[in-house]
Amino acid sequence: MFLAWNEIKKNKLRFILITGVLMLVSYLVFFLSGLATGLQDMNRESVDKWNATAIILTAESDKSLYQSSMTLDDAESVKAKEIAVIAQMSAIAGNGDKKKNVTIFGIKEDEFIMPSVTEGNVFSEVGEVIASDALIEEGFKVGDKLQLSSTEETLTIVGFTDDARFNAAPVLYSDLNTFDKVKYGESADVNKNNINGVVIKTDDLKNATENDALEVVETETFIRNLPGYTEQNLTLNFMIYFLFVISAVIVAIFLYVLTVQKISMFGIMKAQGISNVYLSKSVIAQTFILATIGVAIGFVLTLITGTFLPSAVPVSFDFPTMLIYGVVLILVAIAGAVFSVLTIVKIDPLKAIGG
Amino acid sequence: MAILELNKVKKSFGTGHKQVDALKETDFLAERGELIAIIGPSGSGKSTFLTIVGGLLSPSTGEVIINKENLSSLNEKKRSKIRLKEIGFILQASNLIPFLTVEKQLKLLDKVKKGNMTKAELEQLYKDLGISDLRDKYPSDLSGGERQRAAIAKALYSNPSIILADEPTASLDSDRAYEVMELLKNETKNKNTTTIVVTHDTRLVGYCDKVYNMTDGILTLKSKE
Repeated sequence: MFLAWNEIKKNKLRFILITGVLMLVSYLVFFLSGLATGLQDMNRESVDKWNATAIILTAESDKSLYQSSMTLDDAESVKAKEIAVIAQMSAIAGNGDKKKNVTIFGIKEDEFIMPSVTEGNVFSEVGEVIASDALIEEGFKVGDKLQLSSTEETLTIVGFTDDARFNAAPVLYSDLNTFDKVKYGESADVNKNNINGVVIKTDDLKNATENDALEVVETETFIRNLPGYTEQNLTLNFMIYFLFVISAVIVAIFLYVLTVQKISMFGIMKAQGISNVYLSKSVIAQTFILATIGVAIGFVLTLITGTFLPSAVPVSFDFPTMLIYGVVLILVAIAGAVFSVLTIVKIDPLKAIGG
Repeated sequence: MAILELNKVKKSFGTGHKQVDALKETDFLAERGELIAIIGPSGSGKSTFLTIVGGLLSPSTGEVIINKENLSSLNEKKRSKIRLKEIGFILQASNLIPFLTVEKQLKLLDKVKKGNMTKAELEQLYKDLGISDLRDKYPSDLSGGERQRAAIAKALYSNPSIILADEPTASLDSDRAYEVMELLKNETKNKNTTTIVVTHDTRLVGYCDKVYNMTDGILTLKSKE
């Protein structure tokens, strides 16, 4: 640490450059991780809010809630500690001023996926809905009459709830009667038994249903199969992992160039009997200092940037994930320093001092 | 008592008809408290001799014994430890680390080795070398002579048994060169160390107890105390 810190103090500009590059890489990594988390939340937060073990869909639906179609009678055959039926459709909802893609969930008020209200009231009459509070930022408010793209029916927002987006669209929660009227119009009575799935809490997934036409899909599997969810995560994670490799390569190149410039100095120290271990530890310590400073500044910069971003940017910072990525960045930087360590070990003190 | 002993040491480079004997079979003995000069022209084998004695180069044949430890039988790691413990180098090219002040050059040795000079001894050394005011300066702020004196301080600070000096006065004016030789002589006598100075400056031999001449790899004793 003695050599490492004194060299940094003497050659500030040189090391500010390396730290600056590491800071920019970590800034990008943290920001991408925030974007990945934000986009994940947009897709899954309403499902996470269920806190369910699994969802039962039709086997031929390919794990898609939208494609699954069953009846309330099917739901009655499900065995679980708690069950909640769900019907789902997508629509465009407008309040006369703004229009927004929404997902409508038809649910039963007395079942466990009924959301708690953060503003306003729960629905009590046909035509009333609880809306995702994401719509507040879009200019929607309690009392708004919503015109829907696919029906003449009008819905009224009576309350808002938090964490209620599904597949990137804000959710409108209604009871099944309202849902049937919106989806089926005049033939609502004929279709009043139709639902899309059954959300369950159970310790015995295997025996949740004996109906071969139905499939028990664990919550995480269901989320992974949401349209575009896995592809989007893979893309962003690939970018983050690639940035780890890039940061290792950048550090390796920088430190290698610095080490090559100092071969003679290292050689003299080795001639004086200073061990490879001490010199290697010094390079590793130097990398640790630079990477830690760079990552810390990148972290703070990311948080500052986050406060200035418009709400339309789906960024959500998950601190445990950021901490892990920060540690990984420091570790890959140290891995990049291994090249320099190998170079130091190979230095012949005799050649270095011109013997 | 012999601190350094070379028994039938020979160093050759290349093989067959391309073989060059840089150091022909040599026996050498250095006692504690001796200041020894090795003089000779460039390419005569002086540096080869010095690097073998310093454990930086392995001899082709023979053995090098420092303080009863046979260097020839040790691996680089162990030789490195011996260098740190027993030998102080004063190199022709300044052996200072560019990003450490003069004082920190010595502090570095405290980090890797115990038994270095006490504070009082160090103050006296600074004074003797005339570098008391330079302790907070970086090598780039020093003149050639100041750098060399700082390098000498670094070599002496670790209280080595043997000081190996390669042209230690090369960048000094005559007065300072004599002062440095006087200092090396005093250190050698007062601390009962052994100093071997490789030089082609024959004016310095007056300070030495023994003078060896190196010609074409052959080491011969020129004069005695």
